[in-house]
Amino acid sequence: MAVRSRPDGSPLSRRNFVKGAGAVMAAAAAAPALAACGSGGTGVATSGGRTTITFASAKFFAQESIGQIVDEYNNSQRLVSVQFQELPTPSQSTEVHQQLVQSLSRRDGSIDVFTGDIIWISEFAGAGWSAPLDSYFGPSVKAQYFPGVIDACTYAGAMHALPWFIDAGMLYYRKDLLAAAGVAVPASWSELVAGAQKLLGAGKVSDGYNWQAKQAEVLVCDLVEFIGSNGGSILAPDGKTVTIAEPNAVQAVQLMVDTFSKDKITPKSVLSWDEVPSELPFLGGKAAFLRNWSFVWNDAQNKSSSAVAGKVGVAKLPAFPGGKSTACLGGYQFGMNASSTKKSAAIDFLTWMSSPATQLKWATQLGLAPSRPSVYKQPELAKVNPFMVSLQDIFTGGTPRPKTPKYSQISLAIQAGVSAALATGEVASNLSSTKAQIEQIIG
Amino acid sequence: MRLRLGPLLLVVPMLASLLAVSLYPVLRTIWLAFRNTSLAAQGDRFTGLANARRLASDSHFWKAWRQTLEFTAATTIAETLLGLVIALALYKRFRGRGFVRAAVLVPWAIPTVVTARTFSWLFDQGGLVNYLLVKTHLVGQPVNFLGSTTLALPTLMAADIWKTTPFMALLLLAGLQTIPPGLDEAARIDGASSWSYFWRVRLPLLMPTLLVASLLRALDAFRVFDLPYVVTGGGPASSTETMSTYAYNVLFSGLEIGYGSAIATSMFITEVLIACAFGVFIVRRVRQEG
Amino acid sequence: MRWVRRGAFGILVAGIAVWSLFPFAWQLATSFEPDRDLARFTPTWLPIPGGTLQHYRNVFVAKDFAPYIVNSVIVDVSATAIALVFAALAAYSIARLPLPGKGIVLGLVLAVSMFPQISIVTPLYQILISLHLIDTYPGLSGVYIGLSLPLMVYILWAHFRTIPQEIDEAARIDGASPLRALWNVIIPVALPGVVPAALLGFIASWNELLLALSLMTSPPRQTIPVGIANFTGLYSVPWGDIAAASVVVTVPLVVLVLVFQRRIVEGVTAGAVKG
Repeated sequence: MAVRSRPDGSPLSRRNFVKGAGAVMAAAAAAPALAACGSGGTGVATSGGRTTITFASAKFFAQESIGQIVDEYNNSQRLVSVQFQELPTPSQSTEVHQQLVQSLSRRDGSIDVFTGDIIWISEFAGAGWSAPLDSYFGPSVKAQYFPGVIDACTYAGAMHALPWFIDAGMLYYRKDLLAAAGVAVPASWSELVAGAQKLLGAGKVSDGYNWQAKQAEVLVCDLVEFIGSNGGSILAPDGKTVTIAEPNAVQAVQLMVDTFSKDKITPKSVLSWDEVPSELPFLGGKAAFLRNWSFVWNDAQNKSSSAVAGKVGVAKLPAFPGGKSTACLGGYQFGMNASSTKKSAAIDFLTWMSSPATQLKWATQLGLAPSRPSVYKQPELAKVNPFMVSLQDIFTGGTPRPKTPKYSQISLAIQAGVSAALATGEVASNLSSTKAQIEQIIG
Repeated sequence: MRLRLGPLLLVVPMLASLLAVSLYPVLRTIWLAFRNTSLAAQGDRFTGLANARRLASDSHFWKAWRQTLEFTAATTIAETLLGLVIALALYKRFRGRGFVRAAVLVPWAIPTVVTARTFSWLFDQGGLVNYLLVKTHLVGQPVNFLGSTTLALPTLMAADIWKTTPFMALLLLAGLQTIPPGLDEAARIDGASSWSYFWRVRLPLLMPTLLVASLLRALDAFRVFDLPYVVTGGGPASSTETMSTYAYNVLFSGLEIGYGSAIATSMFITEVLIACAFGVFIVRRVRQEG
Repeated sequence: MRWVRRGAFGILVAGIAVWSLFPFAWQLATSFEPDRDLARFTPTWLPIPGGTLQHYRNVFVAKDFAPYIVNSVIVDVSATAIALVFAALAAYSIARLPLPGKGIVLGLVLAVSMFPQISIVTPLYQILISLHLIDTYPGLSGVYIGLSLPLMVYILWAHFRTIPQEIDEAARIDGASPLRALWNVIIPVALPGVVPAALLGFIASWNELLLALSLMTSPPRQTIPVGIANFTGLYSVPWGDIAAASVVVTVPLVVLVLVFQRRIVEGVTAGAVKG
């Protein structure tokens, strides 16, 4: 009975429940959560006694699509009917953002539940567009997710998003080449530089370490990782103090410059690379190391598109001496419109969408990595996607990008400033002018 | 009365649909340019010239402005000249002319998103262009086209010239075809060399088309968006930031509707200035004909 | 001397053709190449040995590309046809009739093409929402009409003005109304201008992404550029499929041009005979 209203229901019983028990029982289970909504009367759209809510999300697809999973929810119970509104693909993330903002800022509740990039959470929360969720999901629920993602979902002490799936930056390396050259998997940046230079010197590869420095969002991700691994940050936890020009940050950005100017382990065209251009040489067997997201693994194992299938290993990104490996958190999370008039139905749907059983589906059917550590222990996931299971350790240390309602403006300033630092090699001066700009934006 | 009203009636459908898509958007943008409207910061007040003052001291804006003008000038001139050469060549009769005329349009017909991605691939340090340059020993080391602050903008210009020259060629070819064939023969009989014929007869007759075509082209080039947005993201070091990419980021990412509208309005003002430069010539011609 | 010239001309024309077709040919090759070869940087010129139709199958079967093409054809053909009629009427009036304030009208037309498109996206979205035209064919088509008009008006105006006045005078003496003169005399003579106007307007709409993305919000109504953009996942760029799709949408345009060429040539001769 309590399975529906309790998101911590064990995944196994949850799955059997959905498969076996059928709609009648699901409806009965959902009743308590929806009672308030049903009697709420005016303004609540119902179709055949069901509360209809609208769910807007960017288009994710693989073997299955979001629409199919939503259908499963609709078929699993009788009280809520979800209409899925498909937004553009996440590759058009500015458009997705724009369409969400257009709808949310009207405050008319035309969408009830949505998914958004992890970096929009503070903005939506600060503007009062997304509802705080603490009264629905208490500390015991939060404890079921990776701490980094809960941190990213929290703004001004309140949780404004429910975790969906996550991703993080990681180090890909050529197992075969490293073993042949007697190079250990690097734990520090200096080991990485030395290893890459050794392989370059031996003529095994033409690129040592590929990362991303295009003047785009991904540059901020790479920056968070480099600076974080030297114990630094862009913005202090108070969300006000700008730390991007501190000595440890300067040192980290200097390392970014050195990769292509002094150590020559990275091609200079890294300045125009985002994820895919940096990946291609690696897939073609021309690069020793690569910083990228989890999608590269599947591409690398796909024998029809990769020359390095079976030769790739994955590790945490290196760190500076005394620093800690840092992985920038990515992914999309669920939010609830603060103006929604059907909040209990929306919460019921969200609970189901983020439940362990559904997260397993996201992982196995759409390749989206669970935000709940418990799902990584599922034998089914190990069978379908053993690689994903191995990422749990990396995800545990995931670090969010700066949390402030003006993140997108700050991100643009960082992109321009750091790109200038990299292109000119004048690190300290560019970082301090970036700092001034960020301070001006935060006000 | 019929004579006065008739001509007006004929322009009504055009004016109506132009105003339908532009009147409200344009007025709204200009109105917002004087407000601090921001979705993220929740502001929405009249702030007078605050946005204009911020623009004046926004070095990023002036950098984008300068680069966009450079882009506009270089591509418009190159496209006009190349387009003229192509149009003159395709005006002659030769076997396979129909095919070449159709082929010339291909770059313009390929979706811009695809062109942009193709170019970012072609001009990568490990891409086809470098492969050919190195193979033919034109350069020793692969050239860093897109990751260099000096070469990225010229590379985008090259991409735009490749893509948009067909537009000019087609317009100029159409212009050439309006020149009465009789003039051709008259000039031949006079024994004029083809060079002086081009300068004295063809070019003056082609001038109105040429001016109009390059004006339209310049106005369009100044709004360039897709190429830098997809290929370089405005980088490296903002060296390919254009007015449109900057305005887009401010409007859609930063949600600073007021300031973004001020940038858009400044684009409009610049466009008016560009048009005035051309307009002097065009209006003079209209006057001449009454 | 003569053959040197002819040779130089031949090289010029060949150069033009190669310059225009080369990246397309490369895309054509890519569209038949298996994914594995795409990841290799060194190009293979002729992918025939390992050629595959997989990308075309992906485009039409897995990605269900056909509806995007249908939507684009509906939106762009209607927009181009209507815009052409509006532009022809207006250009005729400006170029050949005693319209008061010609300069102002021309200036106004131009002003519209001076406003940055990115700043009109949001207001247009609001307008279409309030008119219940968001996510409809007439909505997007109407926007494209407005946006392609300036170019068309200017091209037609430039062409209409070059036609000798005697031609409409002759028509008027025959008792034809201005509209009839436009349709029967001016348009045929100005066909070399009408066709490029239509073609350039059509292609501009055919390739437009930003507005299509914002104003057509549901997948069953989206147009080709949005469809191609939809191929790209969060990080995956299926080069082969994109190349195949862009071949599929480019080739019909080229065929269209080839077909219209005849018309242009015929138009010129017809006009010359009449004139």
